[in-house]
Amino acid sequence: MLGRAVVEGLVQRGDDVTCFQRRPSASQGKDVLGDIRDADAIASASQGCEAIIHLAALVAPRPRWRDAYDVNVGGTTKVLDAARDCGRLVYISTPSVAFDDKPSVGSAAEVARYEGPDAYARSKAMAEVEVLSRRDLACVILRPHLVWGPGDTQLVGRIISRARQGRLVLPDHGRVLLDTTYIDDAASAIIAGLDRSDDAPQTWGRPWVVTGNDPRPLAELVAGILAAAKISRLPRSLPAPVVERIGWVLGRCWPTDEPPLTQFAARQLSVAHWFDQRDTQRALRWQPMVSVDEGIRRLSTWFQEHDLST
Amino acid sequence: MTVATPAALSPTPEQLAAWGIDPAWSRRVRIDGADGRPVNWHVFDTGPGPRGTIVCVHGNPTWAYAWKDLLTTLSPAWRVIAVDQTGMGYSERERPRTLEQRIEELVSFCRQEVSGPLVVVAHDWGGAISVGAADQLQVEALVLANTAVAKPDDVAVPPLITASRALVNVMCRYTPLFVEGTARMTSRQHRAALRAPYRGAKRRVAVRDFVADIPLRPSDISHGALERCGENFAALTCPILLLWGAKDPVFHDRFLRDLRQRAPHADVQRFADAGHLVALDKPIGAVVADWLHAKASRQSTVARDARFSDVLATVKQRANDERPVYVGPDGSLSWAALAERSRQLSHVLRSDGLSKGDRVAVLIPPSPDLLVAVCALWRCGAVPVLADASAGLGALKTLMRAQSPRYVLGTKLTLLLARSLRFAPRARYGLFGSLPGTLDCGGLNAGDEHDDAVIASDDVAAIVHTSGATGPAKAVRYSHGQLSAQRGAMNSLVDRDPDSAFTTSFAAFMLLSPLLGKTCVRPDFNINKPSTLGFDELSKASQRARVGAAWLSPASARRVVATAKGRTLPIPLVMLAGAPIAPSLRRELAAITGGAVHTPYGMTECLPVTDGVQRVANESHAGVGVGVALDGCAIVIERLDAPGHGVVADDGWGEILVSAPWLFDGYEGSSSADVASTVMMDGVRFHRTGDVGYLAGEELFVLGRRIHVIDAASGPLASVALEGSVSDALANEVAAVGVGPKGAQVVALVLEREGSLRLAPPAMSEAARAALSIPVAAVLEGTLPRDRRHQSKVDRTTLSRDVSNFLAGR
Repeated sequence: MLGRAVVEGLVQRGDDVTCFQRRPSASQGKDVLGDIRDADAIASASQGCEAIIHLAALVAPRPRWRDAYDVNVGGTTKVLDAARDCGRLVYISTPSVAFDDKPSVGSAAEVARYEGPDAYARSKAMAEVEVLSRRDLACVILRPHLVWGPGDTQLVGRIISRARQGRLVLPDHGRVLLDTTYIDDAASAIIAGLDRSDDAPQTWGRPWVVTGNDPRPLAELVAGILAAAKISRLPRSLPAPVVERIGWVLGRCWPTDEPPLTQFAARQLSVAHWFDQRDTQRALRWQPMVSVDEGIRRLSTWFQEHDLST
Repeated sequence: MTVATPAALSPTPEQLAAWGIDPAWSRRVRIDGADGRPVNWHVFDTGPGPRGTIVCVHGNPTWAYAWKDLLTTLSPAWRVIAVDQTGMGYSERERPRTLEQRIEELVSFCRQEVSGPLVVVAHDWGGAISVGAADQLQVEALVLANTAVAKPDDVAVPPLITASRALVNVMCRYTPLFVEGTARMTSRQHRAALRAPYRGAKRRVAVRDFVADIPLRPSDISHGALERCGENFAALTCPILLLWGAKDPVFHDRFLRDLRQRAPHADVQRFADAGHLVALDKPIGAVVADWLHAKASRQSTVARDARFSDVLATVKQRANDERPVYVGPDGSLSWAALAERSRQLSHVLRSDGLSKGDRVAVLIPPSPDLLVAVCALWRCGAVPVLADASAGLGALKTLMRAQSPRYVLGTKLTLLLARSLRFAPRARYGLFGSLPGTLDCGGLNAGDEHDDAVIASDDVAAIVHTSGATGPAKAVRYSHGQLSAQRGAMNSLVDRDPDSAFTTSFAAFMLLSPLLGKTCVRPDFNINKPSTLGFDELSKASQRARVGAAWLSPASARRVVATAKGRTLPIPLVMLAGAPIAPSLRRELAAITGGAVHTPYGMTECLPVTDGVQRVANESHAGVGVGVALDGCAIVIERLDAPGHGVVADDGWGEILVSAPWLFDGYEGSSSADVASTVMMDGVRFHRTGDVGYLAGEELFVLGRRIHVIDAASGPLASVALEGSVSDALANEVAAVGVGPKGAQVVALVLEREGSLRLAPPAMSEAARAALSIPVAAVLEGTLPRDRRHQSKVDRTTLSRDVSNFLAGR
């Protein structure tokens, strides 16, 4: 979803965009199909490009470590090699790489030192460290936080499907403050990052957390999304330690690689996550344009225009 | 002449670097020794500095390293020279020096090395040496840390010194016990440096000689020299700063009191948790730098009020007036009785040894005895120290100890508490009535006749304490001139009907009756719980005398309103202290009393500042209007982003600064708080109130406390300004707090609603957000915590912590 938004933004302003991915992107860019684990495919797709935006990642609640490593770390290494020829790279990371079990209250981008059990966060942390080690590259690293919007299957999609099933549970009534990034803002931040990889060396070689700078309690965000989807069923609440325990059990016992909850996810929803955006906005020369309330309005319009029964 | 081998020892550059001293500072100087031969001194000299020269003199058994913080913090703005005295540190080992000779050598060093005026900083016996040298040098300012220029008569020689004297060779020379004992008074990081120059008995000879030279008896060789130091000190006119570590077993608070008595104009910075080596324990460099800066800019203080009249003028005038000055449930006191009893008590105290300038803790609740005690102390020229018990016993003890009072006057109960909790070690206790071992203040056998002390406008009149409701309680010092000016200001507020009485819920205001020349009626309520003063208590009080004015705290006012039950009680003027006041409270009180209800603005440090009827601001004016500045009082608004550098533009808001002839003299024992809260503007001294607000025309609007300003990324937001519009829209009390790190805080609103903190229902959040034009991160509801003292102000510090934890998931 985010990839498509970025491509559309770039195409709109007249850039020449090649999309390298597994399935057709249905975007306005030129599609090249391939696997991120295939170095040659990457090299040939990026031939003649001035810059690479690397958004490909394996995002799943509980992927096999091997898969997460191959895609998120191995794939990134190969992209890095390809980017050496192009000269510029925008690498999309995640604030989870610095998750240390404690609340982030207006924090800056901390060092990617996550080494816990979550395969996604761990592999992304390793990948970011790998990117940082390439000193010879003009590279801007962005960590967009909780990207959401119309068509989003990750955050919005999961909240809605859980709520429909009556299985949506919030720790401690969803009291913690989270900041999120509306899809349009995430895309414009990435495009700003692309431009800074050209003209602002002081932005290279360190991660920038990107958010909509409008932190809200989790409960309020969920309520907004559910209201936009016209779902009246309200989430239940359980004490945070209980939710964490459930996550621990489900994370271990669930038969597929998509357990409804993991301990990592439960913990992430039990402590605050919001970030000081002053440095990011100054460095990227970028500002978010969509507040949470405006995002919910747009989401609601989108739901009205699309069939909800699916 | 050959220099003995040990004297050639110098600290190596590696050692110095490891100790955090720039090796380039270490150098040797040859000066004229006191015995006629040149002597080789080691000094740290930071080199030229534009602000001037500071010479630092260590004590025994330390050396120039003791001034590490000063050397590193004040250079290169200042040239800082820390000397090693003869035989000490890395200076040449020589024959024993007497105090006289050490003074001579310091003078000779300064004359040789420093041209022009200098600042002298000294510690321990370096203090006596520096003071002894001061009259031969051009001393601009003097800073002394844990030292003495004389041994007060009532103090025994510290056991550590007696023991060291008796076993001087064993303690100080042959073993490193004395050096080691001193090194262990500070933290581990400094110990190696403190020990280094004193390794080996040969290198400790001067340490022994130093101790042996301390004059304990008049026959001791340096007794005369020390006496001259004491006299010298009292004659010094330059600014003096006393840095004091309160945990020093040798130079304890009693010595501080002695120094303050000799030089009442000295500023004091007392560190309750520092010891003998305060210069290493605390960041004294910053304190000294700020103090020197403030002293330089304060040179041109405003001329004192020429119309100064003694605080006791009214009491003396009315010595034959049988009308009451105080009426209370515990009896009344006539002006004549106050004059007579205070005169008797002053004789008792003076005969017992109380002298002018002595601090006296007064632990008497408002009563006739309190008025008598305070007036008697003023007759003696002594300084009453008043603290109220509502701060809690622990806080009271800290406050009392910091003043090291010579006397404690109290009731049986308070004296018992003061004794058992050791509020004032070494103080003399006095009681109205007899109790074995205490001074009888009843005056049955009044002592010899004494004339009242002559009071000057600059003399210290009283020490009171801030409530601690909005921060740690601080000791506030008033001079007689300032009290006299305050009397004028207060009278201009309440004195519409000179023969009427006033009543109040504030203990401190009851003390004002002898000053104002008005009768005080004390209602029957628990003075430490203003909320126990209700309609019935107020009504009974006004039956005892014709009450023309009432000063009430918001808690009392709320109680009066709540217990009125439709009854009325005519009082022409009610003063409600403690903004912000709910407008409804003011209206209801006006309905009950049928009089004017004013809401003046002021604080312990400057009371009053404004007079007027408080009003809730209209749309363009957020915050709470508190009226206009009183005659003689000046208000300016300082920019938050550039403190010390300017006043806000016309329509801006910022910190409220006040100045008035009745502005307090300073914070006692905390020169750093003094410096931080003082701003000089065109030679006028202003006080930073810690409140933020703005002026609209003449009228002052208060936007709450500075520490409660929400420091958002978009700029500072005044919490009170946000609350106004939300509480109006929702008809619900609300508090706004900032969450997150300074500079990137987000706004959280808390609606007053019974219960623990929780997210507000969506409809409420939406309504609250709609009332504001800025982003709000979260809207919560719950019981708002209140300050324990007035039960009126929302305790935002607690609230902000609770909200932060709630929203962080902690």
